[in-house]
Amino acid sequence: MEIVFQAMANGLLVGALYGLVALGFALLMGVMKFLNTAHGTFIILGGYLSYWLLELWGIDPFLSLPLVVVAMFLIGIVFYKLALSPLLKLPNIGMRINTSMLITFGSIWVLDNTMTLLWTPDVRSIMTSYTGQTLKLLGVRFSLTGLGGVGVAVLVALALYFILSGTYFGKHIRAATQDAVAASLCGINVQRTYLFSCGIAIALAGVAGMVVVSSYSISSTAGIGWLSSAFVVMVLAGEGNINAIIPAGMLLGLIESAGLLMVGVSYRQAIALIVFIIVLMIKPQGLFAKKEYGS
Amino acid sequence: MNWKKLSILGVLVMVFLVPPLIWDIGTSVLNLLIMLFIYIILAQSWNLMGGYTGQINLGLAAFFGCGTLVTHFIWKAGVPFYLAMAAGGVAAMLLAVVIGLPTLRLKGMYFGIGTFALAEVCRIVVGSTFHRMLKMPSSYVASYSLVSRYYVAFVVAVLAIVIVYLVTRSKLGLGMVAVRDDETAAQVTGVNTFKCKVLALFISALLAGLAGGVFAYLRLSFHYIFMMFSPVWTFEPLMAAIIGGAGTLMGPVIGSVFLVILSEIFALKLGEAHLIIFGFLFVLVVMYFPHGLVGSIGRIRQRMSGVGRRISRDR
Repeated sequence: MEIVFQAMANGLLVGALYGLVALGFALLMGVMKFLNTAHGTFIILGGYLSYWLLELWGIDPFLSLPLVVVAMFLIGIVFYKLALSPLLKLPNIGMRINTSMLITFGSIWVLDNTMTLLWTPDVRSIMTSYTGQTLKLLGVRFSLTGLGGVGVAVLVALALYFILSGTYFGKHIRAATQDAVAASLCGINVQRTYLFSCGIAIALAGVAGMVVVSSYSISSTAGIGWLSSAFVVMVLAGEGNINAIIPAGMLLGLIESAGLLMVGVSYRQAIALIVFIIVLMIKPQGLFAKKEYGS
Repeated sequence: MNWKKLSILGVLVMVFLVPPLIWDIGTSVLNLLIMLFIYIILAQSWNLMGGYTGQINLGLAAFFGCGTLVTHFIWKAGVPFYLAMAAGGVAAMLLAVVIGLPTLRLKGMYFGIGTFALAEVCRIVVGSTFHRMLKMPSSYVASYSLVSRYYVAFVVAVLAIVIVYLVTRSKLGLGMVAVRDDETAAQVTGVNTFKCKVLALFISALLAGLAGGVFAYLRLSFHYIFMMFSPVWTFEPLMAAIIGGAGTLMGPVIGSVFLVILSEIFALKLGEAHLIIFGFLFVLVVMYFPHGLVGSIGRIRQRMSGVGRRISRDR
């Protein structure tokens, strides 16, 4: 019985990380209709940033988070200007999604191999004084870095929820999503809104990268694996349903760890794929989707 | 197809068919040509789905790797190679069912992310299942001849081009193009869009599986079989198809030639870093020449003659 509880606890910890990984991806996809397949690569880039901040200057990864966020925000803005903003000229949303899929898929190769050149393909992870320590709660062990990751994920998700629903900037984003032309007629600077939300999305990837490097490890080509987790979480939550991303990630983590008890570690990704396929067959609008009127 | 085109084709086929029989053209050239043919098959496979049907496949490697793996094992079991290769193609088709049926009912995006996830899962699962190096028994190695590989690759490449030609000129091909241009309009007109997409995916997966079979015939041993599922095998054919011109018959062929020449220039000097250049080139082409080499030439010609300007503006 204890092993089941332990597996569930681990599932929750890794699930929160899945949610965090998917958050920026879902923001770009659900709100702006850019499918960013390079999201996993940006996660790795953020991981490298916090790794080097610790290695070179000895800044703790959880303390260096603001620096990583600012740096990744700027990278996101540059990325938007160079790669994504030309897509706004395309005539319809479908073409925008398809073309952004292709462009970001090309960017994966540029970024991945640049990172390999700069920092070698070695697997890296962060060792701090608290790495590997655990906290015992109700007979179940939680790793400290994992708990820190959950805390960061929940805080970031709440902050994003507040920004999207409580501020004028969030209103601008939602208005631009619904109808870009009407929004700009109402005096919203759609270009700037998109620019900032892309920056936020990539900054979220940076946050996820920090958590990944503090409780797991990174290597220059590992981004693709995290990306497929992000896909599965987004499908579970439903496209455009950003508030459900963290719960959906935790659900995926729980399902995976339940599956791992039965079939073994090497098939973890296969479980995620099966979940993905089942959800698409039964409820393609996502498990957490709200009921729409009239349907 | 008039006589002029047919005779050009005949000459081309003779150019590729005859020389290896008459004189020894060197292992490196033969290897290069075989890789060119494999890229042509893969690029045509991607083209059928991405260029004609408008469904972007980001997991071609899954079908390719599946073809390689199945062909390798069935051929090793003593089945004649041609049957083993066919089995590889069929296995890739079965794999396509897994991802095609749930995702193709939905918007195009889900097919892209579904195939991407499929390739990634295949890579990890295959990597954790087959730890050891896979190799053929020594009798297979003793009877190895590169020329026979060359002919198999050539025949399959020609077959791929012919299949794509026939499919795109059939009713199914019209349906596929209709799905690409406007899926809702196609549905309203009475096209069974789901059936069109699934059939296109089956043919595309079959071709990719056959390419995998050719690769299994070329390489008798694999240090890491999961490398066959690496996303590079998606990216390079995709790049060949897009640079040449997606949605045209000869585009992927020209793109593959271009790609093989480019990798000869860069891959030897730069190693893995050549993918940085490929990535940049690919992004630039998608942004500024979305119709590729063939499409751009066609457009320039139209612009010069002034005919069809209005039609070409839409697509």
